[in-house]
Amino acid sequence: MIAQPNESPRLEERIRLEPDGRVTVFSGKVEFGQGIRTAFAKIVAAGLGITVDRVTVVLGDTAQVPYDRGTFGSRSIAQDGEILRRAAALARRLIAEGRPLEGPIPEDVPVGPPAPDAGPRRVEAPEIVTGRARFVADARLPGMLRGAIARPPVRGARPAAVDDRAARAMAGVVAVVRDGDLIGVVAKRQAQAVAAAQALEIEWTVPPAADLDTVSIPINEDAATLAALAGAATRVAATYAMPYISNAPIGPSAAVADVRTDEATVYAGTQRPFGLRDELAAVLGLPVDAVRVIPLMPSGTYGRNSLGDVAVEAARLSKACGRPILLQWSREEEFAHGPARPACALDIEAGTDADGRFVAWRYDEHTNAHGYGGTLDPRQAAFTSGRNAVPPYVVPHLAVTLHIEPSPLRTASFRSLAAAENVFAIESVVDEIAAARGEDPLELRLRNTRDPRLRAVLEAVAERSEWRERPRGDGRGLGLACTLYAHGTYIAQVAEVTVAPNGRVRLGRFWCAIDPGRVIDPNGVRNQCEGAIVQSASWTLLEELKQRDGRVATTGWDTYPIATFRDVPSEIDIELMGAPGEPPTGVGEPPGVPVAAAIANAVFAACGARVRELPITADRVRAARR
Amino acid sequence: MRYRLEVNGTLRDLDVPRGTTLLEALRDDLGLVAARYGCGRGQCGACFVLADGRAVTSCLMSVEQAAAHRIVTVEGLASGGELAAIQSAFVEEDAMQCGYCTSGMLISAAALLAEQPSPTDDEIRDALAPNLCRCGVQLRAIRAVKRAAEQL
Ligand code: FES
Ligand code: FES
Repeated sequence: MIAQPNESPRLEERIRLEPDGRVTVFSGKVEFGQGIRTAFAKIVAAGLGITVDRVTVVLGDTAQVPYDRGTFGSRSIAQDGEILRRAAALARRLIAEGRPLEGPIPEDVPVGPPAPDAGPRRVEAPEIVTGRARFVADARLPGMLRGAIARPPVRGARPAAVDDRAARAMAGVVAVVRDGDLIGVVAKRQAQAVAAAQALEIEWTVPPAADLDTVSIPINEDAATLAALAGAATRVAATYAMPYISNAPIGPSAAVADVRTDEATVYAGTQRPFGLRDELAAVLGLPVDAVRVIPLMPSGTYGRNSLGDVAVEAARLSKACGRPILLQWSREEEFAHGPARPACALDIEAGTDADGRFVAWRYDEHTNAHGYGGTLDPRQAAFTSGRNAVPPYVVPHLAVTLHIEPSPLRTASFRSLAAAENVFAIESVVDEIAAARGEDPLELRLRNTRDPRLRAVLEAVAERSEWRERPRGDGRGLGLACTLYAHGTYIAQVAEVTVAPNGRVRLGRFWCAIDPGRVIDPNGVRNQCEGAIVQSASWTLLEELKQRDGRVATTGWDTYPIATFRDVPSEIDIELMGAPGEPPTGVGEPPGVPVAAAIANAVFAACGARVRELPITADRVRAARR
Repeated sequence: MRYRLEVNGTLRDLDVPRGTTLLEALRDDLGLVAARYGCGRGQCGACFVLADGRAVTSCLMSVEQAAAHRIVTVEGLASGGELAAIQSAFVEEDAMQCGYCTSGMLISAAALLAEQPSPTDDEIRDALAPNLCRCGVQLRAIRAVKRAAEQL
């Protein structure tokens, strides 16, 4: 789904001058650690010629901000940042003319130079380091109670019989709620709610697994592809795979709901406040105008908050017992019941002529729905599950097909959607072809790339990393990967790894050249790049959600290790290459996309082990090295 | 059950069920929410507080056990309206994204710097390894700890 900017933004919906001279800015985007509050404050402050501390940014409160489809796809700066930039320029002119701040914001308002990188790095930072910041789970309302949900053993199981006598008799229990298939406990204290939910005796009926079909969607068709492949001078066919992984936020999902007979207020860590408002209104049987969603900071999540699950559950509990409810999922619930990133099997075959130019490329991507909201809409599948399935190279014959397979687990969008899986396959096979031809994978890429911006990031990262000169072998290797991410962000990366005799991979330095168009907040961009690289390296080397037939075995961090301070690269070097004249294209997702291939290619360079399945464990490296 | 705790230099009286964790008491009875719930099992560091200067998992410590220690939370790191060096260093280095893990990191860092005023990179990595961060700010946090060490 590509969210469209608000059709005709109006100034009075965006910028308000307060009687005390402060300025309030409104956006439907939400903050979950990506720094947009700061970026928006800087954009408006620069446009108005005032200091950042005079700007208050209101994000996502459905009672205050204009409609917005949601915060995803690294589009916040490109969409609302640009609207606010024009809004601030217009407001400045109207203020100078002594006119009220209202009216449509035209496309062609002359804007000043981009905001300088001055002022506070993150406007929320002082509150976070002093403990004054309020996350969703920190919201406290008068009369608020705690909820806990009784979870079925597997998705789709339904309660056949519930014995709540023991639970009801427990200390602090106020109500046992049964609302359709939702069974929950409301208690005075968190520990009491959790204990009582565990004391519920429930017989679950597990329905037989639905026999759903695979949906195949052609993304690029070319009937001559197979014949052209057969005639290729160098041809590599390989299958790559990735397991289910979890968003694994450090703070499990939480929401606070206060549902009254004729209105509801819900505090949530949602990426889609208006979508959640509509969903809540439908579930609660209230008109949408009677439901207010107020986003508070969740723990960082990376896509799973496109779903409203925890907020809807909190609202149902609150409605049933007539009191405000804080529902905080447990760590185990987050792993077992939060939506997972789909698993995939990526079948690819690519060939070049004798000069190392691609002649044909066939790609069959088998994955699950990566949708926002978890549903599959074939019209959107190419943008979600099919994101970046098409290689960024010149390929005369290209056949790309997306196969969306049913999943026993609930799946949803996760940072960069399917781009991370597709680029793992694409950039691995390119490396394999270079190896088969016995040439430098950088030269192979450059030869097959016409896009000057992609060439520029490749050249830049090669120079920063001393790609051509740096010694390899003996357990040390460098790997290269690049992409043109969906919306137009160009990235090239080099990973340095060492592989121990037992197969254990350690990250050394990591280089990243990124061209995301105009950069508004360079430090914020660097922070996003570093974070995405660390997170994606963690997916690549460590992560797998263990499940069988939809029963998740992962319950805690002991069975789902993520990168710690000991595992992260020793250094991350980032070169920002955005041209000031180019529109900003987003940085939250793209830097994580080429990471898996860069690391896998580095492992190959270090020890000759081609690992085609993630995570790249010591076992897999040893097996591939033989 | 009634308990008396010393938190951030103040004695606080509590009436909570036996077995209540320090984390729950801080967040729900004392209004100190900087220590956060992440796993409840001692595996993530989000709930860290100082107990007599050592970083401990408040999700695994009962209020009863906590009564024997001087407890300091992130709310108690600043003194007299001045941020502690480690707090300003995290701001300066922008060592956070969502900030959910930040309290725990600050506590680990404060405990480390009290023991070892000029830690090496490896000592910092080891000391903060119990603090999981999904947003990936580890390299910035290491820089922040070093910056704070220089200012001490
Ligand atoms: S909540 Fe205490 S260690 Fe995770
Ligand atoms: S900053 Fe988000 S988990 Fe560390």
